[in-house]
Amino acid sequence: MNKDSAMGIIEAVQREGRKVLSEYEAKRVLASYGIPVTREILVGDGSGAAKAAAEIGYPLVMKGCSSEIAHKTERGLIHVDIRSDAEVQKAFEEIMKGMDSQGGAVLIQEMIKGRRELVMGLTRDDQFGPCVMFGLGGIFTEILKDISFRRAPLEKNDALEMMREIRGHGILDAVRGMEAADKDLLADMLIRVGRIGVEIDQVQEIDLNPVILSGSRPVVVDALIVLKQRRAG
Amino acid sequence: MTDYEKMFHPKKLAIVGVSSDGGSVGFGNGILLACQAMGYEGQIFPVNPKGGTFAGLTIYKRVEDIPAELDFAVISVAARAVPDALRACREKGAAGAEIISSGFGELGTAEGMALEQQIRDIAATGIRVIGPNCFGIYCPKSGLTFMPGPDLSRESGPVAFLSQSGGMSIDFANTGKWMGLRFSKVVSFGNGADLRETELLRYFGDDPETRVIAMYIEGIEDGEAFFRTIQSVSAKKPVIVYKGGLSAAGQRAVVSHTASMGGSRVIWPAVLRQVRAVQVQGMMEMAQTSLAFALLPEKTFRGISVVGGGGALGVAACDAAEAAGMVLPLLPADRKALIETFLPKPGSSAANPIDVANPYVPPKALKEVLLRAAEDDRIELQVMISLLYHYKSMGQAMGKPVAEVTPYLELADVVHDAVNKTGKPVVLVLPNPRKGLDDLDIVEMQEQARRAFLDRGISVFDEIGDALRAIGHVHAYYGERNAKHE
Repeated sequence: MNKDSAMGIIEAVQREGRKVLSEYEAKRVLASYGIPVTREILVGDGSGAAKAAAEIGYPLVMKGCSSEIAHKTERGLIHVDIRSDAEVQKAFEEIMKGMDSQGGAVLIQEMIKGRRELVMGLTRDDQFGPCVMFGLGGIFTEILKDISFRRAPLEKNDALEMMREIRGHGILDAVRGMEAADKDLLADMLIRVGRIGVEIDQVQEIDLNPVILSGSRPVVVDALIVLKQRRAG
Repeated sequence: MTDYEKMFHPKKLAIVGVSSDGGSVGFGNGILLACQAMGYEGQIFPVNPKGGTFAGLTIYKRVEDIPAELDFAVISVAARAVPDALRACREKGAAGAEIISSGFGELGTAEGMALEQQIRDIAATGIRVIGPNCFGIYCPKSGLTFMPGPDLSRESGPVAFLSQSGGMSIDFANTGKWMGLRFSKVVSFGNGADLRETELLRYFGDDPETRVIAMYIEGIEDGEAFFRTIQSVSAKKPVIVYKGGLSAAGQRAVVSHTASMGGSRVIWPAVLRQVRAVQVQGMMEMAQTSLAFALLPEKTFRGISVVGGGGALGVAACDAAEAAGMVLPLLPADRKALIETFLPKPGSSAANPIDVANPYVPPKALKEVLLRAAEDDRIELQVMISLLYHYKSMGQAMGKPVAEVTPYLELADVVHDAVNKTGKPVVLVLPNPRKGLDDLDIVEMQEQARRAFLDRGISVFDEIGDALRAIGHVHAYYGERNAKHE
């Protein structure tokens, strides 16, 4: 765990006067807290994209990456299951065009295969301070709101209870040929998300959605970190 | 160190703001009369600048004139006069004061806020304050009571109650009186300028007279301190929390899904689960749950039997038990057959739930049922549903009043015997669908019956769902507490 490197990223974002971290920046913060995220490389031109694709390996996912863009899916800025150099170049050009005036770069990341999507997050409650969320991810987060919360810091038992508490907790077991989720690792991730909230005051909100179960192992596939509004002066 | 002993059991009590006989009757007069009606044994010193007498007592013109060191004071004067009165009480040695007066922070005015700050500042110099804008303390042991509480019980018991709201405090104290709750202390702290939820909770956690803590909360001052305190107190004794005023979502504009879904309606229940507090959704559930914690043994009750009622009540019992994490184990054929020998035929069935066929089964037979059912090791608690109101029809046929033909005393005795013999608690459910003006005789008989059971230490509920929900809270609390200690 490395609070200093997370702080370095956050302070740089604040110096630019931004409140929202890009996906890439958010994942670097998570990674510095030991939370498993997708392998990914940020590129700014076509040759960089080709090199990154070779390093990550096919199939891969390409996303427009900018702090200005919160809802990438709606804007056609996500290309999945890319399997060749030609597809990489085509996707790169389309994404850059889609972001036109906003600037930004393209994130080339490994494609995590898994049918089970979870969500983790952090909010700051007016009365209780940082609280960690766990629940069903992807489109189900908004539709079913099958979620649980605990106040940070979490003990392992709190994290395990959060998982048991959602109605859809059966999704973490071995179902339909899928392995049981690694609950120790999930608990560890929730504890670490809480630790970010406790240790870094500047962090106001976190969404890790989806966290995809790749076999038994959870990996953060998309992430959003929102900072506190800085007071003027 | 706060001298809570002097605050809850004062021997010398000043009541500041008592008008003389024939004058206007304010809260101060009301409190004084209420304490006298309760048989408060200490000495009362009324205070009013105009002097005079009230209720046989001399009114002192100034706190300074009281010829004794004070333990506690009730202050009920205009808000602007409160700081001076409070200071004078401190100088007279009072360990604490309850300020009934309103006109402080709750107004939201600059003057109100400033007066409340003055109270806080005086409190910091050595007198603990309850209030302002509150009903203060009800303590059955000392006879100290609320203004609207002249006829509350003087019997002490294991339940402490703590509330910002004065209305909730008096309602809860009154509900407890008929329901069978006995209180150690009840505190309404209003604006909570000095003493409030966290410190009082910590005190009740350490108070040997308190075994069960109930609290009504709207807002808290310091989330971190409250969290740590309720977590450590809940590990020692049950803390039953009714949280009022929950909102669906946070107030601020938020970006993430997490923050948009994390309103107080979600965070409060999550936090209360995390600290092992017992969450309830209303005042009646809080009272019923307090009763179960007060009267049942401190343990889990996974397997229960349900005796009495009729078919539909048995089904309702199964549903409610399951929802509360408990089960009704099916009794084996031989035990079922044995129990059925004590019951009317046809119509009875002793599989569990045990349907006793009709409401007139003699108490002696019901005792046998309780004894035999308890021999099954899986049964840890028994619920008896008794439809006593049906005795009115029997009384009408015999030309006798319902109270005379209903064998509630005998039933209370046999249930008490069964509890002693088996070591397994029995909880009574006494439903009454007949509550109209033409059935006040039933209502009265039912309350006599409730009293008879409570006198024998047996808890009574009006509905099967209420009973099982309350028992379920006890079951869940001790289940989690024991699991955590393993």
